[in-house]
Amino acid sequence: MKRYKLIAGLLLGLTAGAQAQNPAPAKPQTKPVVLTGATIHVGNGEVIQNGAIAFDKGIITQVGPAASVTSPSGAETVDVKGKHIFPGLISLNTTVGLQEIASVRATLDFYEVGEINPHVRALVAYNTDSEVIPTLRGNGILVSQAVPQGGAISGSSSVFYSDGWNWEDAVLKKDDGIWLSWPAFLAGNFDNETFTYSIKRNDKRQEVIDLFKRTFAEAKAYAEIANPSPVNLRLEAMKPLFAGTANLYIRADYAKDIIESIRFAQEAGVKKIVIAGGNESYKVTTFLKENQVPVIINTTHRLPEGVDENVYLPYELPGLLHKAGVKVAITYADEWWRTRNLGFLAGTASGFSGVTSEEALQFVTRNAADIIGAGQQVGTLEKGKQASLLVSDGDILDMRGNMIQAAYIRGGKVNLDDKQKRLYEKYKNKYGKK
Amino acid sequence: MTLAVYCHAQETFPRNGAYDERTGRYAFTNATIVVDPKTTIENATMLIEDGVIRETGKQVKIPAGTVTVDLKGKFIYASLIELDSDYGMPEVRRAQGGGGRQTPQLESNKKGAFGWNQAIQPETDAGTLFTPDSKKAGDLRKIGFGTVLVHSHDGIVRGNGALVTLTDEPANKAMLNSKASAHFSFGKGSSSQTYPSSGMGVVALLRQNYYDADWYAKGGNKKETNLSLEAFNQIKVLPSFFEASDKYSILRADKIGDEFGIQYIIRGGGDEYQRIQEIKASKATLVLPLVFPDAYDVTDPWDAEVVTMSQLKHWELAPRNASEVAKAEIPFALTTAGLRNKADFWKNLRTAIEYGLPKERALAALTTLPASLVKADSKVGSLKSGMLANFIITSGDLFSKDNVIYENWIQGKKFVLTALDAPDIRGTYSLSLNNQPAGKLQITGSPEKPEYKITVQDSIKITPKAMLANALLTLSYQQDKKVGGTTRLTGWLSGNGFSGEGVLPDGTVIPWSAALTEKNTTVAAADTAKPKSKETGPIVYPFVGYGNETLPAKETVLIKNATIWTNEKDGILQNADVIVQNGKIAKVGKGLAAPSGARTIDGTGKHLTSGIIDEHSHIALFSINEGGQSSSAEVRMSDVINPDDINIYRQLAGGVTASHLLHGSANSIGGQSAMIKLKWGASQSEMLIPQVKTIKFALGENVKQSNWGDVQRVRFPQTRMGVEQIYFDHFLRAKEYAASWKSYNANAKKTNIAPPRRDIELDALAEILANERFITCHSYVQSEINMLMHVADSLKFRINTFTHILEGYKLADGMQKRGIGGSTFADWWAYKMEVKEAIPYNAALMYHEGVTVAINSDDAEMARRLNQEAAKTVEYGGVPEEEAWKMVTLNPAKLLHVDDRMGSVKAGKDADLVLWNASPLSVYARPDFTMVEGAIYFDRKKDEEKQKSIAVERERLIQKMLGEKAEGKPTQKPEATKPHMWHCEDVVGIHAEHVDIHAGK
Repeated sequence: MKRYKLIAGLLLGLTAGAQAQNPAPAKPQTKPVVLTGATIHVGNGEVIQNGAIAFDKGIITQVGPAASVTSPSGAETVDVKGKHIFPGLISLNTTVGLQEIASVRATLDFYEVGEINPHVRALVAYNTDSEVIPTLRGNGILVSQAVPQGGAISGSSSVFYSDGWNWEDAVLKKDDGIWLSWPAFLAGNFDNETFTYSIKRNDKRQEVIDLFKRTFAEAKAYAEIANPSPVNLRLEAMKPLFAGTANLYIRADYAKDIIESIRFAQEAGVKKIVIAGGNESYKVTTFLKENQVPVIINTTHRLPEGVDENVYLPYELPGLLHKAGVKVAITYADEWWRTRNLGFLAGTASGFSGVTSEEALQFVTRNAADIIGAGQQVGTLEKGKQASLLVSDGDILDMRGNMIQAAYIRGGKVNLDDKQKRLYEKYKNKYGKK
Repeated sequence: MTLAVYCHAQETFPRNGAYDERTGRYAFTNATIVVDPKTTIENATMLIEDGVIRETGKQVKIPAGTVTVDLKGKFIYASLIELDSDYGMPEVRRAQGGGGRQTPQLESNKKGAFGWNQAIQPETDAGTLFTPDSKKAGDLRKIGFGTVLVHSHDGIVRGNGALVTLTDEPANKAMLNSKASAHFSFGKGSSSQTYPSSGMGVVALLRQNYYDADWYAKGGNKKETNLSLEAFNQIKVLPSFFEASDKYSILRADKIGDEFGIQYIIRGGGDEYQRIQEIKASKATLVLPLVFPDAYDVTDPWDAEVVTMSQLKHWELAPRNASEVAKAEIPFALTTAGLRNKADFWKNLRTAIEYGLPKERALAALTTLPASLVKADSKVGSLKSGMLANFIITSGDLFSKDNVIYENWIQGKKFVLTALDAPDIRGTYSLSLNNQPAGKLQITGSPEKPEYKITVQDSIKITPKAMLANALLTLSYQQDKKVGGTTRLTGWLSGNGFSGEGVLPDGTVIPWSAALTEKNTTVAAADTAKPKSKETGPIVYPFVGYGNETLPAKETVLIKNATIWTNEKDGILQNADVIVQNGKIAKVGKGLAAPSGARTIDGTGKHLTSGIIDEHSHIALFSINEGGQSSSAEVRMSDVINPDDINIYRQLAGGVTASHLLHGSANSIGGQSAMIKLKWGASQSEMLIPQVKTIKFALGENVKQSNWGDVQRVRFPQTRMGVEQIYFDHFLRAKEYAASWKSYNANAKKTNIAPPRRDIELDALAEILANERFITCHSYVQSEINMLMHVADSLKFRINTFTHILEGYKLADGMQKRGIGGSTFADWWAYKMEVKEAIPYNAALMYHEGVTVAINSDDAEMARRLNQEAAKTVEYGGVPEEEAWKMVTLNPAKLLHVDDRMGSVKAGKDADLVLWNASPLSVYARPDFTMVEGAIYFDRKKDEEKQKSIAVERERLIQKMLGEKAEGKPTQKPEATKPHMWHCEDVVGIHAEHVDIHAGK
């Protein structure tokens, strides 16, 4: 019964009439806020017991032991004794905002026609009114990267706060990178005749690699022209790759693909390379470290690839990379609504690979922020960064502790209500449990 | 051209020209005659006449007018018998398409008064269809076969087979028995009809067919004429051959036979050694192929990783299969079926013998045993008097490496394979061209297969093209490849050499000769290579990398000082002990003393719980959905259990000890579920819990095929309105059916009434009405949940469990009132329209209303962390931790009616236990061990050792394969095959955009 009351308390102030839509975005921070008395998980490995954090105009001004943090004049001080404060979780490589219901085609906006689509942008299709977004926010996801899928070059991703009136004010980083699918070294084939699935060497991949080589060579040449005519939208979109202002995200899982694709991108003149997927990245950690290529690991709540593989390998993978000195983030890949479980991927990684929960936390906060080039703004709770943070009853990496009582994005206090909580309330009422 | 000579079989036929009938009397003398595998007579004579063996023995009197053939040093064997052949049968066209991209064909497209299902073809008569095929006959004769059992390889019931010889005479002569056998398989063949679309559907269809045939014979024929059932009743008494493809389908076939008192003769797949004890227990006689995979090309280490341990091990062990089957004293015949190249038969058979198959067994497997299986042992298979003159003449022991088959006689007619009277010309000759010395000609090899070499100018060795026939020799060679120009010689054997005429490259015609200088009769260069070791790695159970040589044994264990989640009124006990004995929990308490012989496990700081029970699982199955019809209550998941599924081991590693294996959700009434204990390595029957009698139902988008593409708009129902009527219709029929049996059974004398038609679909529904079988119903939205509850109320049956039940929170009161349980996901939603209002508070709301709630997986991945999923009910809705834990243990046990033996830590219950390193609800928790009925099937430390030993065994096998490649043996590209029998609806799931591939969701 205790939990019923708790949630009910959270939802005070809601008017019954406004239940059909997502709640309104947070208002900009108008006065300094100090949260005091909590255990602060800074996100860089540091834990401050009985700490306090102060922020103003959306920026963290002080963080440290409660006694050392002074309250600015006019500040709202909130006693959060016994609670835990974490940086907001960052969810990369998702289709959040680009799809709503998987089986309803009309709600899908992430898969464009064509092979080479660097010019299509997730930015403009991102729907801040998706009913999924508040459910992510409620579990601590404060930043999500929306990524186009499909084709050989899928398009450009953008990174968004989990709050905003429209994509324009929700965006954290516009067009942060272009997504490329490296053709897999091994390919699966389903034979309808025999109903068997086989995995063998992919003989058709060189064709795709040659297409990449040509496209990148021509894009680089194009980038050298000041006023190109005719304008080529695809090549135009690739310019930031050579200028180092956008990432090239390469989807690759097999060890061979990882090495081959990184070598390709380096030779093509791409400045910033990120591997997304990386199932076999643990085999090439030395290479990744030497080349300073970070890895976004897709969901680790998956089965091992092979029947003879270590049954826990997916869980252990992030820890293996981290311990080898490779920068690693974990995501749910394109499983947009499941990303609310992102913290639990990190928790599992800690439980099974011998990294501490503070290290594992970085897989979904600091490392993710660094990878998208937003490390100066989000990812840890350090002075000068944005106040995008969570107040939780307990450990947000554990299902029993992930009870978010408050969340701030850019200093604004976010409404944590969502459709599912409203339905919960509605039926508690039905059963007279309220 | 047909050279018909002794056409006694065709007395009725008119002749064109003069009669040409002969006695065909031959005597073969001085031979070693292998009469049958147990009887060999040296220096014996065999007399044949009119295509039949008259006498075999040492003292055979040869009548005048007999052609006598001296076979000194030669052997005679009965010619071989092939039991699995499509020789002389029309080609079978496979059904086109597949993959669910075509409009479903619900009814048979076979015209006429036949049965309803296209895959049941008992009316197919190989005797009528048989047309001799001289090319194929020649290929089989070449390797020593004389008699073949042929059948049409099409369909589940394939009609009757015919026994024919491989003569080139007309069919009238070749056919020994036009109705020799009945044939069955698990494949639909050319049938394009939707049903059956799964492994268990095939079993059900065949079972129903047996019942229907019985009904037809007992009076059904008065109601309808059904040529298929008529034919089936005729063929079902014949020796019945079942084509299975692997070890588990052998067992599946045998189980069908057991139900109807039929012992099938079962064609295997060559992997019988992997489950030899169970196969022996089936008492089936096998027909074994000799198909051995090539080594994989594992040169590239990353490339090689795709090949699984079971593939690597099977490559090594496949040649040992026949030997293992023989060792287990399982009767078996051998077949050439499955060989891409029939010429590999002898090579592979000799390999099998090198791996320990006794020659006598091999011979019996090709002669006497197949003959007796087709009840033709009075005609073929041995060389006793009165048998057909079907025999082969060989140079020596049939199984020796250099054996040559000279002649294959069929029904007294000679077919020459290698000239019996070939002169032995081996030796060294001095070659002269145009009377000038021209080098040395060496002839080695065997008399039947001489090998030629010419040496010119003392050092240049040339291998000429050569042909020797009827004492005529042709040689051609290029003296100098750089210069070119071919010298061609033709000549004949004369005295101690050859002489003849030749043509030089410039066209000059010359005389040539080759004079013998040294005769050489030794056999060709002996194989100097060291004999290969026939040692193999161990056979493991199940046959995958993580299998064990011996199964974990039940232990007596004291687990001390643990935190015990009892799920009983004691709640969570701190610093408590558990004693496990004989597979059961013997005691739970504090300060327990170790019984004698007990192993003590320190549980300090650890949490002991009962094992997780997954109420909704699809692991360990070969097939998921029988979607061919809207009701498939007749199918049983127990027919398709796959003990080799690695997910069993993976889930043990996540603390799961039992799984409820459900049919998919492709139709309103699915199939009968199977509950298994996760005894990794055990047999299907050891894993199955037979007393759990449940059935899967389904509602909503899947059963109305909403997301299956536009072609799938044929099957009723396509709306939730139609779903309701499916239930009404089927249950009303089931009520009537039960009543008709009741009235029939009440009539003690059974006079003047035919029994009702046994219907295995309605049997299952009648069990539900009798409260003997429990429903688990896949469900999402409240309207349909409400509908089914009302249907059940009005027809007076009970719904046991709603599964998925993502809107259960909207009807929790109605469920509670009716005692219906809810087995749900912790937090799934948004993947399709009908889960739009799914909420993670569902479990909590149902729980607070008093519904028995389980959290299930429906997913091999989620199942291995169901503890985490249970913990989410703490996060969403504040379920107390002990109650959350029950949702994956005691509550599913209750919903499955096994809570008397599972689901809690209580004395007397099964010792299905997990020791966790932390609270089981913690995200950081992992099992130290998982025990099923007192045996530890997963142990964290042993798992780590296992990973190392897998790596070592893999490397050993890889090195062995690389060795074969270095020797120039053929290899195949690395490739892993997952031989799951996916159902086409599952395939739709893979191809259709964004439709999840899980069978149920």
